[in-house]
Amino acid sequence: MSERGRQAIVATLAGVAAGWLALALLVWIYGESPREVAGQLLAGTWGMAYGVGQVLYKATPLLLTGVAVDLALRAGLFNIGAEGQLAVAGLAVGTVGASLPPGTPAWIALPAVIAVAPLAGAAWAGVPALLRARFGAHEVISTIMMNRIADAALGLALARGLGIPGTVRTPDVVAGARLPRLEAFGLPSLHGSAVSLALPLALVVAVLAAWWLARSRVGRETVLVGLSPSACAAERIPVARRVGGALVLSGAVAGLAALAPVLGYKGYYESGMGAGAGFGGIAVALLGRGHPAGLLLAALLFGTLEQGGLVINARVPMEVMTVLQGVVIVAVALADSRVRAFVASSIALPKRSPRTAGTR
Amino acid sequence: MPALLTLLTLDRLGKSYGAVRAVDGVSLSFEAGKIHAVVGENGAGKSTLLKMAAGVVVPDAGEVRVGGELLAPHTAAEAIRRGVGMVQQHFALVGVLSAIENIMLGAEPVKSLGRLDVARARARADAVAREMGVSLPWDAPAETLGVGDRQRLEIVRTLVREARVVILDEPTAVLTAGEVSQLYATLRRLADGGRAVIVVTHRLDEVRDHADQVSVLRHGTQVSTRAIERGEGAAGLLRDVMRDIMGEEPPSALERRAREPGEVRLEMKDVRLGRTLRGVTLRVRAGEIVGIAGVEGNGQRELVRVLAGLDAPDAGEVRCDAAAVVHEDRRAEGLVLAASVRDNLVLGELARFTRYGLVDAGALEREARVRLDRGGVVPPELDALAGTLSGGNQQKIVIARAVARSDRVSVLVFAQPTRGVDLGAARAIHGEIARAADAGKAVLLVSADLAELRVLCDRLLVLARGRIVAELPPDAPEAEVGQAMLGGAHEALPEARA
Repeated sequence: MSERGRQAIVATLAGVAAGWLALALLVWIYGESPREVAGQLLAGTWGMAYGVGQVLYKATPLLLTGVAVDLALRAGLFNIGAEGQLAVAGLAVGTVGASLPPGTPAWIALPAVIAVAPLAGAAWAGVPALLRARFGAHEVISTIMMNRIADAALGLALARGLGIPGTVRTPDVVAGARLPRLEAFGLPSLHGSAVSLALPLALVVAVLAAWWLARSRVGRETVLVGLSPSACAAERIPVARRVGGALVLSGAVAGLAALAPVLGYKGYYESGMGAGAGFGGIAVALLGRGHPAGLLLAALLFGTLEQGGLVINARVPMEVMTVLQGVVIVAVALADSRVRAFVASSIALPKRSPRTAGTR
Repeated sequence: MPALLTLLTLDRLGKSYGAVRAVDGVSLSFEAGKIHAVVGENGAGKSTLLKMAAGVVVPDAGEVRVGGELLAPHTAAEAIRRGVGMVQQHFALVGVLSAIENIMLGAEPVKSLGRLDVARARARADAVAREMGVSLPWDAPAETLGVGDRQRLEIVRTLVREARVVILDEPTAVLTAGEVSQLYATLRRLADGGRAVIVVTHRLDEVRDHADQVSVLRHGTQVSTRAIERGEGAAGLLRDVMRDIMGEEPPSALERRAREPGEVRLEMKDVRLGRTLRGVTLRVRAGEIVGIAGVEGNGQRELVRVLAGLDAPDAGEVRCDAAAVVHEDRRAEGLVLAASVRDNLVLGELARFTRYGLVDAGALEREARVRLDRGGVVPPELDALAGTLSGGNQQKIVIARAVARSDRVSVLVFAQPTRGVDLGAARAIHGEIARAADAGKAVLLVSADLAELRVLCDRLLVLARGRIVAELPPDAPEAEVGQAMLGGAHEALPEARA
């Protein structure tokens, strides 16, 4: 294993350890026993079949948004808009799934609705991508704005036509458009949890994305553009097109993240469904460090924390898990050698006091 | 002459980067009153050695002693505190700040309530400048200064911090001939003032003319240290130093071959761009090398960018057949520093190694290996990141890439192709350029190095103030070339000062 790989693993383990310490401290402040709460948390997630299934269910969209954010990062972009891309894709999938003829067989219905998700996500990301490629508009600003627009537009669409009147949800999708749960494939021990075919689909997408970046011409050029746009422009690589393309692709993958809740769990789209997974994807991408296995582990970690929050909610507020997530991210960033070098270089220089330096 | 005082001692220093032993057990001492040159090929470990001396890089063996005492902690801040200052190869100035503000930066003298004491800083800087025998426009923004002034500014900044040992990493790579002798006059005054001056350089004529001692590094080890005597033995000494550097007899100089110019492959007609290009007209034919001479900052960079299609001219016409371009700023426009040597050797050519949208890794590897070997890149590792190589080896990658394309282009443009490159590599690059023209390519060579232009070019064009002001034969007397360059500069003065 490379030196950097080792460093990454050590940094991540240190971050997770710091997160656990912070959790213990918070639980203790709430007057509960850290030991018991931790035990309960583990028992309710990895300690039982249903818990494992739920962790996998929560990790599925996180893995996809993580891959999405990572794809953009590799091109030198920060896609803050996975949240909106996921939501728009969710509504599109729910709407198309519900408007198919009731008896549509799965082999027609499923591919159709699955294809809708990346198209919708890509379309939503296409706006900031175009603004960036054409006018150089910074994607952080424009993707955040697109999140807000998605919020408002989805509410409007659900209220005026796409939703069941008086509710904020779409009608049920046809039976053939639902993603089968994994328990239907001889894994009955998962026991009613919502983990579905969306999980293996997400794994395939994660591997495909890494493969595309490493092996395809466009993927490799995208990575090079992310590292030095000026050198790539000088060598005639179409920088704007690669950057815009990466953002569109990122949006497409973020759109796929809507499949697990909409088709694998509820069978319809509802306002707020999948909320948080877009931002969670940023954390997953930062922890995953551009490796599919890293992204998967990070998604599992955050899926565990999310599910764990529900498990311990009776004793301490589930928000402590949000604190834990934050601590993990900051600690991992600090343990990372690149960040350490940056911090060291910015505080190591002014050793002498300004009064004495440079004068006699 | 007073007794020699050793100001800085390097004792068996060693440093590895990964598997590469950059510096291996080098011991040197530097004395007050002397200019000590450190020479060697690219990647010989010169920069690493002196960065260790200045506290910037932490050695993994040996020690640095300042005035007999161990440098501890081994940091740049401590080295500066103890009087060791370094002027880096790439200037570290803040462009929008004025010269005096750049000098104060990080060591601001203050009055009560933390107010900056500009007057005191200026008095101190004036004193240093007087000692150096230079004057600088303290209130001009650093970005408006010429390269020579920027460098003087860096030196002033080092001296204001009370440096007794002044280290300069390739200070003359970016200077014109006149500026070089000015610089050495300044350095001599510093040495006479009791300082130790250390200069890393590739130019042996400078060593011969200006240094008191010369140390040669090869492959990270110390080969020799000699005192320099002027006069009779100088030529023999130079040859010995050259042999130490290369580890073999120096190759003979480039041979000129007669070439017959063919059709026009590259043509610019009255090309204008902003305030920098003010009507450039030139032609380059197949099988000829046309040189662009001139003081830097007279439009060279923009000229190349327009030719490469990176900037669209405001007016005029550019007609250029398929071209491969070597830009002057290899760190920004030549290389993806954070990518592998392999990726950089074929940057922008992935389409050639692609089938059904997928990169044929084997074919790419073979081609990259061929270019790596032909370019003589050290270390010969395709997986190394380009940013970890020395400047000269980075340049070899860029040149190897451009030359490898010559079977698909008819025009080659080289901007400052041998800047910061050692003698052996520079000769190899010159050979590549000449071969390209022999093979019928139209070659445009932009260089600040007049000797290089004379050796290679069939015609010399002098660029000044964004115009071609003269066309000369390559063997035109230096005075005439200088006159042409200055002609533009004179014209520049009133407008710039207005």
